[in-house]
Amino acid sequence: MQDPDAFDLGGFEFSASSHNAKEGGFTSKLATKTGTTISGVIYADGVVLGADTRSTNGETVADKNCEKIHYIAPNIYCCGAGTAADTEAVTGTYYVYFSIFQLILILKGMVSSALFLHRKSTLRESRVVSAQSILKSHLFKYQGHVGAALVLGGFDIHGPQLFTVYPHGSSDCLPYATMGSGSLAAMSIFESDYKDGMSEDEAKLLVARSIRAGIFNDLGSGSNIDLCVLSRAGTKYLRNFEIPQERTYIRAEGYKFKTGTTVINKRNFQTATSTTTEPKKIL
Amino acid sequence: MSGSKYSFSLTTFSPSGELVQIKHALAAITAGATSLGIKATNGVVLATEKKMPSTLVEETSISKIQLLTDEIGITYSGMGPDFRVLTRMARKDTQVYYRTYQESIPCSQLVRETATTMQEFTQQGGVRPFGVSLLMAGYDANGPQLYQVDPSGSYFGWKASAIGKNMINAKTFLEKRYSEDMELEDAIHTAILTLKEGFDGQIAANNIEIGIVGEDRKFRILTTAEVSDYLSEVE
Amino acid sequence: MRLLNALTLIILLTYKAMCGHECVAIASDNRLGINQQQTTAIDFQKIFQIHPRLFLAMSGLASDMHTLKATFEFKHKLYELRENRVMEPKTFASVVSTTLYEKRFGPYYVEPVIAGLDKASKPYITGMDLIGAAAPTENFVVAGNNSESLFGVCESMYKENLEPEELFEVISQCLLSGSGRDCLSGWGGTVYVITKDGVEVKSVKGRMD
Repeated sequence: MQDPDAFDLGGFEFSASSHNAKEGGFTSKLATKTGTTISGVIYADGVVLGADTRSTNGETVADKNCEKIHYIAPNIYCCGAGTAADTEAVTGTYYVYFSIFQLILILKGMVSSALFLHRKSTLRESRVVSAQSILKSHLFKYQGHVGAALVLGGFDIHGPQLFTVYPHGSSDCLPYATMGSGSLAAMSIFESDYKDGMSEDEAKLLVARSIRAGIFNDLGSGSNIDLCVLSRAGTKYLRNFEIPQERTYIRAEGYKFKTGTTVINKRNFQTATSTTTEPKKIL
Repeated sequence: MSGSKYSFSLTTFSPSGELVQIKHALAAITAGATSLGIKATNGVVLATEKKMPSTLVEETSISKIQLLTDEIGITYSGMGPDFRVLTRMARKDTQVYYRTYQESIPCSQLVRETATTMQEFTQQGGVRPFGVSLLMAGYDANGPQLYQVDPSGSYFGWKASAIGKNMINAKTFLEKRYSEDMELEDAIHTAILTLKEGFDGQIAANNIEIGIVGEDRKFRILTTAEVSDYLSEVE
Repeated sequence: MRLLNALTLIILLTYKAMCGHECVAIASDNRLGINQQQTTAIDFQKIFQIHPRLFLAMSGLASDMHTLKATFEFKHKLYELRENRVMEPKTFASVVSTTLYEKRFGPYYVEPVIAGLDKASKPYITGMDLIGAAAPTENFVVAGNNSESLFGVCESMYKENLEPEELFEVISQCLLSGSGRDCLSGWGGTVYVITKDGVEVKSVKGRMD
C-alpha cells in the first residue's frame, strides 16, 4: 500500500520523450564542451584534491565560482569532470548545459548515500575502495553514457589513496592524477615537480599550481582554485584557496539610478502576513 | 493458530473490534527486554537491557541501539530480527528524504514514515505485524525529540517512556523521578536507576546499552568504559 | 522549431545587508510568442509564488511551464500539510531539481529560476537547466533566450548592498536594457521585490514592439 502522498517509485521517466521528438527538440541550449581541470596528489600523510571553479554553457561562462569537489564521506571526496559523451549520445536532439554537473551530483548522491548506510550498519569508517567500486560498477553498467570522469581521493585504514575513474568504468590508482579538458596542462606540472613524501604545504602548492596551469592554458577551465586536504587529522575543504583572477572591470562608483527612473504602470504590496499566494491577486 | 478463532487472519477484526495479531505482537514486546528513553532539556537518552540467554554469548557482537542518521538513534523491545528490518527501512527513508530535500529528516517525519510502514503490516495480506515497539530519539530544529512507535503503527511523543518486560514499574519510576528541567547528565543517571529497579541480576556495563544525543546533534552510543563510569556515579 | 515558446527574461539580484533589510528581487518580461516571431500574449505570467517568500520563475515551453507550476504547487502544498511548515528556498530548489532529473531522458523544456528568503530572511537564488542542474549564486542569475545580453548588463549594473528601492531600479533597468536587444522579448516587465516585510510587485513599462 502506497502512502497516498508519497512520490512515485522514482527513477527515470520517459513519457515525454516521444512527444518531445515530435516537437523537434529543444535547441536553444547548445553546449558542446564542458571544460574542467581537476587533479589530486598523495603526500606524506594524506591526499590533496584540487579543482577550478568555472562552469560553461557553450562559450559562455555560466558560473564563475561553482564547486567541483564533492562530498562522498567525511574522509572521502571526489572531483568531477565531464566528457562530451553524455551530451552527444543521449538523443542527438538536445544538448544540456551543466548536464555533467547534474550527473555527477546524482552519482555522488548515490554513492554517498550507499556509504552512509554502510557506515551506519557496520559502525566503521568508509573506505575509499568502496566508493571507487560503487562508482566504477555504475559507470561500467552505463557503458560510458554516464559521462563522468572523476578524481577520487580519501584517507582510510589503508592510509591515503587516490584514484581516477573514467566514464566507461575503468580506474587507476595513482600517486598523482589529473582529469578534464585541462588535464594535460595540469599533468605537465605534476610530471616535472612531483616527488614522493611531500609535506602538506608542498602538496597544496603543487596541486594549486597544476590547477592554475589548467585555468591559464585551457579555455574551458577558469576562475578560482578549490582544494581539499584529506588526512588522518581530518578533512579540510579550502574553498577558493587561490583567486588568481580578481575581477578588474568594475566601475569605481558603480551605476546609480535615481528612484523613479523606471516607469511603473501598476504596483501593489503584499504584506508578509498575507495569506494570498495567487500572484494575479497581488498585482 | 491457537486461541481465538479470529487469529487465522491478522486483517480480520474479532467481534469485539480487535485485531488479535496486534495484541499478540504487544505480548511479544512485553516479553522482551526493557528499554527506556528520557528527554532532557538539552538532549535525549535511550537505555536498554542487554541480557544474554547464556554467559557464553559475546556481548560486544550485539548492539541494541542503532543510529538512523547522525542525529537520530533508535532502540526497541521485542523481536531483534524485526528491529533489524525496521532499522534498515528507516535508514533508507532518511536517505530518500535527504536526496529529495537536501536536508536531514526531522525526527517527527522519520517516526511517521516508520509508523506508516508498521501500519501497512497490519492491513496487508500474507504478512504479520512487527513484534517490536520502538523508541526513537533525536535532536533537530525543534529541539530534543523522543517518540515511541507500536506494532499497530500508532506513535506518541514522550517526555520519558519505557517499553518491554518491566515497562509498568519503569514508567511508574520515571513518573516519580522525571522533572521538566532535567539535564542530559541527570537523565542518564535516571535512566540507569530506572533500568536498575527491575533488573534481573547484577547491572553492569556489559549488560546494558546507552545512547545519547545532545545539543551537538550527534547521536552517540556510549562505550562500555563510559557506561561503567555512569554506573559507578549512581552507586 | 514549432514550439509554443514563452520567451522570457529573468533576472535576480540579491541584497545582502549587515543586518535587517535583506531582500531579493525577481523579474521577467511579459511576452509569449509562437513560432518565435509571432506574438500571442503580452500578459504572460512567468513568475509564480510558491509561498509568501518564495518564487519560482520559468522560461521555455509554455505548456511545460504550466504543468510544472501545478506540480510544484502540489508538492509544496503536500509538504506544508505533512510537515506543518513551508519549504526553505534551498529545500524547494532540491525538489525542483529532482523533479526535473526524473525526466532526464525526456525532459520538460524549461529553465527555472528560484528566489526567496529563508527562515532567517537570508536571500537565496539559484538558476537551473532543464534537467535540474542547480547553480546557486550570491549575486544574480539570468535565464531565458537572451541570457547573453542579460549577463552583460547584470555584470556591470549589479552591486552589493542595495536598498530595496535601488534594487528595484537596478533589476528593472537590467531587464529593460537586456530585452531591448532581444526581438523576442518585451511588452513590459513584472518585478517582484521580496523583503521580510512583504512582497512589492510592480508592472514596469517597456517597449511594445
